[in-house]
Amino acid sequence: MIRLQRVTKRFGSASEALSNVSLRVDPGAMAFITGPSGAGKSTLLRLIAGLERPTRGRIRVNGHDLDRLSNRAIPGFRRSIGLVFQDHRLLFDRPVFDNVALPLEILAYRRPEMRKRVRAALDKVGLLHKEGVNPRTLSAGEQQRVGIARAIVHRPVLLLADEPTGNLDPALSREILQLFDDFNRVGMTALIASHDLGLVERMGKPVLHLEDGRIEARAAAGAPA
Amino acid sequence: MKPGRRLQDTVPAWLEAHRDAARRSLQRRLQAPVLSLISIAVLGFILALPAYLWVLLDNARALSAHVDHDPRIALYLDGVEAATVADLERHLETDARVERWIWIDADEALARYREGLADPGLLDWLDENPLPDVVDVVPATADPETVAALREALAATVPGATVVSDDDWVRQLNSLHQLGLRILSVVGALLGLGALLILALATASELRERREEIAISRISGATHRFLRRPSLYGGVMTGLGGGIFAGILLLIGIGLSRAPLEQAAAAFDLELGLSLPGATHLLALLLAGLLLGWLGARLGSGHALRDAP
Repeated sequence: MIRLQRVTKRFGSASEALSNVSLRVDPGAMAFITGPSGAGKSTLLRLIAGLERPTRGRIRVNGHDLDRLSNRAIPGFRRSIGLVFQDHRLLFDRPVFDNVALPLEILAYRRPEMRKRVRAALDKVGLLHKEGVNPRTLSAGEQQRVGIARAIVHRPVLLLADEPTGNLDPALSREILQLFDDFNRVGMTALIASHDLGLVERMGKPVLHLEDGRIEARAAAGAPA
Repeated sequence: MKPGRRLQDTVPAWLEAHRDAARRSLQRRLQAPVLSLISIAVLGFILALPAYLWVLLDNARALSAHVDHDPRIALYLDGVEAATVADLERHLETDARVERWIWIDADEALARYREGLADPGLLDWLDENPLPDVVDVVPATADPETVAALREALAATVPGATVVSDDDWVRQLNSLHQLGLRILSVVGALLGLGALLILALATASELRERREEIAISRISGATHRFLRRPSLYGGVMTGLGGGIFAGILLLIGIGLSRAPLEQAAAAFDLELGLSLPGATHLLALLLAGLLLGWLGARLGSGHALRDAP
């Protein structure tokens, strides 16, 4: 599903955010990237999502060679992935339902089908009863769950999450990671960046450790928790 | 094709997407009504000015149609030979540009002149008749170019004659009208360009406010076309509003200037009524607003989306 070969990313003349990173995530797998802030976790996810282009190296995601993908082909590629951010990035000018429906609107789904899918996604994250409220009125954990519903509503083949538990307490964090595990069980490939090593290790999934833009250690594929 | 999406859903889904974009654009305008109204007002003023000038020009051109007589060409045949006069008569009979003509004999003219004098004896002092024979020609058309061509043709037939036509002022008025139209085109084009830039700027700043939504949509795979759709609908709405406002301003402007203009015309012994623009012209104004709004939005959104993250 994801394959990076000797990927380097440099921003301007600054030092390298990623140096010679190679990794592979198979279809249907779930893996974590850990490391301190500034280690390059977000950069790695942005490269895989096609939001940045590598300075050197090759990136292949879901059959697309990202370094050769034309600007015109990028929107189509992005529709096959779901992205979750630490700061949720919800739109406060519209209710929860419309936030979650955004990817379906882009895919030009018809109203009845859109309603069905949005409600299914909200039900999955336990927020069906909040579909009409403004996300501003929700708690941090609820906002994150709306963000997750938006990332999976169009049933992407690949789910990327950047510090999805960054602002949450341990109980809520476990709940969120459990959600990702559920999605993974139904076939969605997932790659999750987190600095919370203890939490990640309890999930029993492969862990890549980034330090100063380099992969330091690769945990063996652990047994499911 | 994704599950749950059928081919026959494509067109309705497309229509729904457009309806959503239009609705969202209208909602955004209603949320900031003052800014939207300012855009509409600016466009209305910019459209109304050249439209008003055009109506004035169009009415001024109608002046030449208000002439109470047809243009005439007079040929003064002083010392012209009889053979040439015969040529002239043949020409006048055959030329389709001639409506009718009258021969005014010199002796007859003198006799008529004598009748008009208080003391007819005065003319006895003259040794001979000073008046020439005159041919008064009425052209078939008032078109200045045709009249001028006929005048040239007649002058060529009778080389010694003095040829005078009274359509000079019609020609002057026409050339002034042409000049007015040219000035109006330049002013209109410059104002239109200004309006286009203002509308493009308004669209770009609106897109800056939607920056977060655009960034999220981009990440979710939105195309350029999807992202600029609400802006294009917004541009069309502003353009339509501007066109309607310009039409109202135009009607008010004409209403206010009608009385003073008629008074001024009366002072010059002219009968001039300022006529209102017809439905076609008001529709053209509306379309001009619509086109400017759409083009401005396209220009502004193209620029802003290229620079957006």
